[in-house]
Amino acid sequence: MEFDWSPEERRFREELRAFLEAELPDDWGAIAKDGPGSDAQAAFSREFCPRLAERGWLTQNWPAEYGGNDATAWCHAILGEEMWQCGEPRGAQYMNVNWIGPTIMQYGTEAQKAHHLPLISQGKVLWSQGFSEPEAGSDLVALRTLALRDGDDYVVNGSKIWTSYVNHAQYCFLLVRTDPESKRHRGISVLLCPTDLPGIEIREIPSVVGDRYFHEVFFDDVRVPVSCRLGPENEGWEVVAHALQYERVGAARYARAALSLDELARRAAERGLLADHSILERFGAARAVCEAARMLVYRVIDLRNQGSPPTADTNVARVAGTMAEQAVSELALEIFGPDALEYGSFADSHFRLAMTAGVAVGATEINLNLVASRFLGLPRE
Amino acid sequence: MDFELSPDQSAILEAVGALLDRHAGPARAIELAPKGDYDHALSQALDDAGFTAIARADEAGALEAALVVEAVARSCGVMSAGAEILVAPMVCGRNLPGPIALALAGSDVPVRYGAHARTLLVSDGEEARIVSLEPGHVQAVESNFGYPMGRVAAPPGAGESLGPGSGPALRSWWRLAIAAEAVGTMGAALDVTLDYVKRRRQFGRAIGSFQAVQHRLAQCAVWKEGSRWLTYEAAFHGAPPEGAATAAAHAVDAARRVFNETHQFTGAMGFTREHDLHAWSMRLWALRLELDGAAGQRRAAARSRWVGAS
Repeated sequence: MEFDWSPEERRFREELRAFLEAELPDDWGAIAKDGPGSDAQAAFSREFCPRLAERGWLTQNWPAEYGGNDATAWCHAILGEEMWQCGEPRGAQYMNVNWIGPTIMQYGTEAQKAHHLPLISQGKVLWSQGFSEPEAGSDLVALRTLALRDGDDYVVNGSKIWTSYVNHAQYCFLLVRTDPESKRHRGISVLLCPTDLPGIEIREIPSVVGDRYFHEVFFDDVRVPVSCRLGPENEGWEVVAHALQYERVGAARYARAALSLDELARRAAERGLLADHSILERFGAARAVCEAARMLVYRVIDLRNQGSPPTADTNVARVAGTMAEQAVSELALEIFGPDALEYGSFADSHFRLAMTAGVAVGATEINLNLVASRFLGLPRE
Repeated sequence: MDFELSPDQSAILEAVGALLDRHAGPARAIELAPKGDYDHALSQALDDAGFTAIARADEAGALEAALVVEAVARSCGVMSAGAEILVAPMVCGRNLPGPIALALAGSDVPVRYGAHARTLLVSDGEEARIVSLEPGHVQAVESNFGYPMGRVAAPPGAGESLGPGSGPALRSWWRLAIAAEAVGTMGAALDVTLDYVKRRRQFGRAIGSFQAVQHRLAQCAVWKEGSRWLTYEAAFHGAPPEGAATAAAHAVDAARRVFNETHQFTGAMGFTREHDLHAWSMRLWALRLELDGAAGQRRAAARSRWVGAS
């Protein structure tokens, strides 16, 4: 065991910080206040990601043959930390880089790789994730959206819900049932579905999290070419499981929580609040939870860096990350008091993003189920 | 970054594990507990094998020492492992005669191994002091919390000062030792509980198959694992004030949860002296109350990050 960054990794972080200092505009705080899914941030990401790509950083952890630099999982983690710390200027494109691209590399045809991977690695495309349905949330395999084969197309009918970023996305990583007689894990396929096909309708679901955060997507006789299917027909669950492992700790949200806590402490110190022992204790406890989340995510990155198959360490890290976000956001509200109630305030912005942490990318209960069975070896029944 | 044990670290853990299998374990701790005895045989065996000097050995250091301290705690060893193997060598630059007790100046609270200690390491503001104890200085205190406890009454200002700055250093290494012992103790308490809930059947099924039980044990694992990696990281970096306090703050909060849940899920059996759980679980509260307690660890973590003093 050793817990130091290499000189190359340190240098990379410094270069990245200098790059962000130069590239982020003065009004970046205003652009970023509503999170990666907002119109402002999506628009910014379309300019920012190509610049990141020009430096070779956007998909640096990908193999060179797909537009990457074969950088280590650690360098990619540094990129994620620095991006999330400042509010994620990549917008939704972090998903492309973290798990959509790698899943296409793993399961895609040569034609799919040739089409999609350059778009992602050049920062020219936004994706969304079509997983949840009204009757298939945590129980994802209950999904019903049907894709029936008709010649060279699938005809897709059904709906997806809670689909973040789809309002800006050109593609949707879409889970469908291709065998109408099938149940549960069998009979599911993945479609790399363009979002501009006739018959697709996107509606925003207003929420307290923020504008343009959740959407519902309706598919009415949408013809998706069979060539858009990722992986074997009816055996898409393996593809999904692969993607989910990368997704769950894909976003370095713990880094944002830790940075927000630093900022909160700075503001609390200005108001003389850190002289209060009970407040100091709450800061210490929140800091410890953030640091624990960081180390647990690092453990997952270390396993990835060694080329190990995904383990339940991912679920452990995800639960810890949620604890960190919630600890910081609750403290922020309490420190700022009624000032936190103003929309767009520091505490409000952090709270709105953090309040989804226990639900987004797999409910905490699902992660705890997996920790219990795979990490602790507890019996199912 | 590398989270895997090196071949040397694996070899150390294998060797100390074999030794602990022979000399320690819950049965031995339970045997010694009624009279508040100290395990001099275990201490001697670790000494003879060189483990008490590992913090300053070639090719080893504080991280390896922390791993050994964790292993001794996991095996329920009744010896001042944290103070002897980790704290004293790192703060004093040499090993001190054990048993060793750690105390805050001016405090007369019961301390772990206080009744047996030959050496007292005192945190006295900016400086640390080494006090050689005489029999008249120590007094046994009956305790239900898994360690032989005692009050130590060294004369104020007595002993050898380690100079300015040694006080904060002592507190940081002490915090790291608390974290390492808590991690080992929690790991064993959880393991014995997991074993119990897999075997214990009620309502026609193992109680460990109920989600209400699974989720709470899974949360314990999340807390314990976070504490474990924070402890290793802080040990690797030489117990920096912030890292050591953060590891301790998290570990003693984890300890409270692990205490509550392991006792909840082992039911009445877990409270008995015939079940091993208490040999570890009761210790968790002793660790949680040490060195200004959980609140003190949290304040130290916050101060060292944002206020600039530990």
